Amino acid sequence: MQGYIYPNEFELQWSLLIVLYPYITGLVAGAFILASLERVFNVKEVQPTYRLSLLTALAFLLVATLPLLAHLGHPERSYEIFMTPNRQSAMAMFGFVYAWYLMVVLLVEIWFDYRKDMVAWYRDSKGFKRWLYYALTLGSTDISEKALRFDDSAGRWITIIGIPSAFLLHGYVGFIFGSVKANPWWSSVLMPVVFLFSAIVSGIALVLLLYMITTLFRWRPINMACLDKLAQFLFYALVVDFSLEMLDFLHRLYESEESIEILSQMIQSRLFLSLIVLQILLGTVIPLVTLGLFSPGLKRGGFVKVRPEAKQLVYLACAVLIQIGIFSIRWNVVIGGQLFSKSLRGLTVYKVEFLGIEGLAMTLGLLFLPFVILWILVKVLPPWTDQEVGRLAKATG
Amino acid sequence: MPEQVPRLLAVFLTASVALVIARSLLVPDTFGDIGHYRAAATDSVVAHQKKYAGHQECALCHGQIQEMRLAGNHRGVRCEVCHGPAANHVSNPLEVKPPAPQDREFCTLCHEYNASRPTGFPQIDPADHNPHVPCIACHEPHAPEPPGMPGDCSACHGQIARQKAVSHHSAVPCTTCHQTPDEHKVNPRSVRPSKPTERDFCGACHAQERLAGIPQIDLTAHNPAYLCWQCHYPHYPGTS
Repeated sequence: MQGYIYPNEFELQWSLLIVLYPYITGLVAGAFILASLERVFNVKEVQPTYRLSLLTALAFLLVATLPLLAHLGHPERSYEIFMTPNRQSAMAMFGFVYAWYLMVVLLVEIWFDYRKDMVAWYRDSKGFKRWLYYALTLGSTDISEKALRFDDSAGRWITIIGIPSAFLLHGYVGFIFGSVKANPWWSSVLMPVVFLFSAIVSGIALVLLLYMITTLFRWRPINMACLDKLAQFLFYALVVDFSLEMLDFLHRLYESEESIEILSQMIQSRLFLSLIVLQILLGTVIPLVTLGLFSPGLKRGGFVKVRPEAKQLVYLACAVLIQIGIFSIRWNVVIGGQLFSKSLRGLTVYKVEFLGIEGLAMTLGLLFLPFVILWILVKVLPPWTDQEVGRLAKATG
Repeated sequence: MPEQVPRLLAVFLTASVALVIARSLLVPDTFGDIGHYRAAATDSVVAHQKKYAGHQECALCHGQIQEMRLAGNHRGVRCEVCHGPAANHVSNPLEVKPPAPQDREFCTLCHEYNASRPTGFPQIDPADHNPHVPCIACHEPHAPEPPGMPGDCSACHGQIARQKAVSHHSAVPCTTCHQTPDEHKVNPRSVRPSKPTERDFCGACHAQERLAGIPQIDLTAHNPAYLCWQCHYPHYPGTS
């Protein structure tokens, strides 16, 4: 503790789990927006990641609420926000935003996209798997050309609805923080937009990582055109994200409200590592410069020409650094907003506990869980578009 | 209509019907009648067994103490704050006696020094202030007054006093630097002690070569535009 703080500010109320929540939600929104690139904006190069993006979004969405439930401590009461919806509370309305996104957008889009394959797998399988796939098709086994055309068209429309929904999902998370008018670190109308673009950055970086790792483990060659396109969009999203953050920063500096002194003290002391080093330097500037040089974002083929294998390593490193940077953004927003006193005269400290319901072990567990879910989803609904799956579909379709 | 549509609609319809049924079963009947809560909750609260009697009930038997309290500094502290819920005592005064806390820890819940408490609110440092003596040995709890005016500045300014006690200025009494009218002890906010306004005041010790062991400076050359305490914290000198 440093300086003067009010007695009720000594202990932070929003812990590491609340850092995890916007991080995971951002990955969901980002992965979905990446999927929409192929579907709506017809970016054919990223097609190999389309289904992987959707499954990633689903796997992370299924876990997105768990940090909140663990933090609040009474998961058995969570259904009440659906039973007695409170329209005056932004937090209470999250349940509906979440349900809309899960049920109307993500599941339906995945269903339409996979229906043809699920019918093929149903016809090709035996025993439990056969019934599983039949249940997943909801009994709709018509794969005539007309039916498939409808699937495609419906999928496209759902993606079009899905883009504003993804914006709503993550913009909402930023809104929750941005609307806390008593907290000068949070209170900003730019917050939902900054959250949204950082979500897009993190989602693209995650899918890029997953695409490279899964391709590696499947002993398949990496599609460099796809990877370059992903890196290109990652670069553009990062440019917008960084510009918005700097705009927010400059705006605060120029406004120089009474809180500016304690906030600058906080940045120079408590948040130096997580904000200056991890978020800005390692998580933004280095990937930005590297992607600017190596990706086709500014020049076809990139400014620096290297062998594809080396380029893959560069992209991999950038994606990892960006993930660290985005997690740091969430940390700096959530924890930073509670480190300074509302008296603007002192700073407190936050020590992460290891065990316990809000500890590091729980956070790591919840961070690992989406990957387990994704592994199961990939087993049930293989997203690969290479010959192996294609041949199976063709043989049975 | 393509067959996918009715299948999907069936799923959503089932989910919607399930939600409606769940709502009709789980949402209490009176929910929302008054506000965003179960209106009958107020009846449930009323039905709870009464534990507190209210200070008016106490006054019926303990009128003298009540008068004393209402005229004193604890006029805002109701009887049951210290003596606990007294409904049982009121209904059975001879057999059920409310507790009368005598521990120092009880009084220090409100009166221990805490920087967030308003200036002028009586606060003590229990480690320094007559340790081991029960508070009620000196202070009448129903109409507490300090036994006299605070004899020592540390009674209210404990944090400064403790810091000064371990500083180079430990031997310098507060009143050497602060001219403190007696009225300050009664109205600490409206009548404030003075602070040194001249550099020569500190120079009396720190610009005299004859005082060995005390840091000496040349008042004319050492940042003449500033008062000494603008750079040197006088309660813990040596820091700036």
